Amino acid sequence: MQTEILARPSAAVARLTLRAGETITCEVGAMVAMSTGFQVETTTRQRGSGGLWAGVKRMVSGENFFLNKFTARADGEHLIIGPTLVGDVIHHELVGAGTLIVQGSSWLASGPGVEIDTSFQGIGKALFSGESVFWIKCSGRGDLLLNSFGSIYEVDVQDSYVVDTGHIVAFQDTLQFTVGKLGDSWLHTMLSGEGLVCHFSGRGKLYCQTHSPPGFGHELGPMLRPR
Amino acid sequence: MEYEIRNRPAFANLLLRLTRGERVLAESGAMASMSSSIQVRSRFSGGFFMALLRKLFGGESLFMNELSTDSGGELVLTQPTPGDMECMELKGQALFLQAGAFIACDTSVSLSLGWAGIRSWLAREGLFRLKVSGTGRVWFGGYGGILTKEIQSEYVVDSSHLVAYEPSISLKVGLSGGVATSLFSGEGLVMRLRGPGRVYLQSRSIDALAAWVNSHIY
Repeated sequence: MQTEILARPSAAVARLTLRAGETITCEVGAMVAMSTGFQVETTTRQRGSGGLWAGVKRMVSGENFFLNKFTARADGEHLIIGPTLVGDVIHHELVGAGTLIVQGSSWLASGPGVEIDTSFQGIGKALFSGESVFWIKCSGRGDLLLNSFGSIYEVDVQDSYVVDTGHIVAFQDTLQFTVGKLGDSWLHTMLSGEGLVCHFSGRGKLYCQTHSPPGFGHELGPMLRPR
Repeated sequence: MEYEIRNRPAFANLLLRLTRGERVLAESGAMASMSSSIQVRSRFSGGFFMALLRKLFGGESLFMNELSTDSGGELVLTQPTPGDMECMELKGQALFLQAGAFIACDTSVSLSLGWAGIRSWLAREGLFRLKVSGTGRVWFGGYGGILTKEIQSEYVVDSSHLVAYEPSISLKVGLSGGVATSLFSGEGLVMRLRGPGRVYLQSRSIDALAAWVNSHIY
């Protein structure tokens, strides 16, 4: 599969060119355009993660129950996929041991060799790491496409680092994190306007996004009229 | 303290590198990520009374965060909407900031709340306005690109596009034209600015975005 990112960084999409028989699994609704030689299958199943139950787990963790699987019938078929919000798309290649933990709404698509699992972080971290934050563990080998609200910046965590929950895109599983307060006291945490933050420790790569979708939602939401 | 405004203009964010003992004052909620060596303390912005006024009449948050470090570190500050940021170095002069525009400033900069007047309130821009003065840098941002204009005499601005202006500028709320024009042009009330001085504008309006979305909710 060949990957090209177009319209960076303000409204990026990924243009994927596949060979005959190659498959890519995408978030439902991500397809912008494609050539006609694709077989499209809506499934609850990604490689290795079992069927209906995996779909239920994804739904519980806030993600879509279904996934769309695109298989090219001939060489050179192409597919353009993109996220909903304005922002960037990056291509990350998983090689063997390099497992990546992706913030749920940042996952855009992954190749057939990548196994995705939403169940591993435990309900506590799923609920308390912030509004609609859930985590997808991506392991195996192959292509992974991630999207962000705003631009993506990379942080090489050497020892420890702090990120506001709405700004995490993905991180290597050599990093551990705990969800907690910002600063010394709970009072300051509540007053700081940051809410809970993620404290990372260990060594590894961390992708952050410059803007927070919940932050933008809170800005715009109060101005909207009730349906 | 070194700074860099990255990813301009669409997704501007402020990278600050603090060395030992340095501090910066930031808008509540602006921190995106930071080194663990940075401490955060929230405090009333400019004292309790002013913070309360700012909250009630300025549409701003009650608290601000003071970020400091004993050993050095870096932090990234951002704003809720996509858009650009500007830095202004104050050397004794002052600047008025509209609600939501303030991002951060050196701790040597003083923040106060100025009376903006009933006219400003009528234009839904708040009864008070944030005044930054003293010496030091102040960072502010807007939704969309930021345009700068030096005005000599009179200049007309749609109120939701105003970000910041120098105190030498006086504001008047007015109609964009005659009564009919004002009603049907979609411009409604506008700000009439009188210079001389510099004004900062944002190229998009969050109010207009909300109005557009509202018109599509059914």
